[in-house]
Amino acid sequence: MNAAPFFLGYAAAVGVLAPRALLRSGWPQRSPLLAVAVWFALAASFSVCVALAALHLTTPGAHLHGILYSCRSALGLGPSGGGLLPGLGLAAVTVLVAAHLIGFAEHTGRAYAARARHREILDKVGRRSACSRATVLEHAEPAAYCLPGRHPRIVISSGAVGLLSGGEIDAVVEHERAHIRGRHHLVLAAAHAFTRVFPGVPLARHLRQQIPLLLEMAADDHALRRCPRGALAAAMYTLAAGEAPNGALAAGGRTVLVRLRRVLAPAHRAHPALRCAVGTGALITPVLPVLLTCHAGLG
Amino acid sequence: MRRLGELEAEIMDCLWTWGRPATVREVVDDINLRRPAAYTTVMTVATILYNKGWLTRRKQGQAWLYTPVRSREAYSAALMEDALGASRDRSAALVHFVERMTDEEVAALREALRATGRGGEL
Repeated sequence: MNAAPFFLGYAAAVGVLAPRALLRSGWPQRSPLLAVAVWFALAASFSVCVALAALHLTTPGAHLHGILYSCRSALGLGPSGGGLLPGLGLAAVTVLVAAHLIGFAEHTGRAYAARARHREILDKVGRRSACSRATVLEHAEPAAYCLPGRHPRIVISSGAVGLLSGGEIDAVVEHERAHIRGRHHLVLAAAHAFTRVFPGVPLARHLRQQIPLLLEMAADDHALRRCPRGALAAAMYTLAAGEAPNGALAAGGRTVLVRLRRVLAPAHRAHPALRCAVGTGALITPVLPVLLTCHAGLG
Repeated sequence: MRRLGELEAEIMDCLWTWGRPATVREVVDDINLRRPAAYTTVMTVATILYNKGWLTRRKQGQAWLYTPVRSREAYSAALMEDALGASRDRSAALVHFVERMTDEEVAALREALRATGRGGEL
């Protein structure tokens, strides 16, 4: 039996239906890092499915063992039995994997260069603040951001230092430290890579929107473990409202509102049983198509 | 490399703080108030800064007089533009605490704060 239709159906379910279900459920906001894992499990599952569908379309009647076999023969490790078609399927898979890797590398490389340029100027212009582990940049506009990566910097403008209390600055610094320690920039690069390979797929579109927001929430949670809620909420409000809006940048506003409401109205983390079930699901989803077809093939 | 970066920052800091052209000798003397630094090292780093386009220089007698090309404020403003501007690379290169918002969104934020009774703290 050719399993290609099954893979395409599964890919459609993962690519279209699963994101809708995930967007509707409430637990991602309460366990944002788990939700990040689930989004990437869906992405991996989708990629695996598309790859397997490509292989099965070019080698009708094969199941995975057969494919591994043709893999081996294509590499010249076993007796060659394939014609042109298995080669095409393998090429499709190789292109798919390479596209992911190139997308990731390109994004990280470009961001690395941009940060290096920024940091070189920052280290001369900014002043190290002894108390808050941040670099203070002389500028009236209130702002805070971080340069993640190997030589991280947390930057706070002097305008923000003037507006925020000591506790609020601590909350901002803790939030940014969570981004740096969690290597969130690499997660964003992975999301970017997936979106680039499958630009039109709803899963990719939603993933690209949801991952940054979920990472912000995770960083908020990290800050809340060390700082009071009021301090983080006040810092968010002051920095978001501190400057006359610039039309091009207004897009982020709604996410701040979601985050602020979340910080102000504490909710318990998702139930341990639910977290466990979702985590197991996230682990199984990417290999599920392989398991299912292997079973079918053996039967 | 780290030491080089620090020395670059110190030289720029001196020149920005003084707000006038200065010789390497003056900068070395200023740094030596805090820690020992060799004249040749500072001269080398000043030349690097000149080559990188951070400093201009003109000859006065035997010595070079160095001046920053741009003010500290101009660099800060450029960094902020880089950080807050609508650049395409920004999303992954820098991670913001919050994005800037429109008036309506700020009003919604204020409402959210007020509704939970924390508005008074602001």
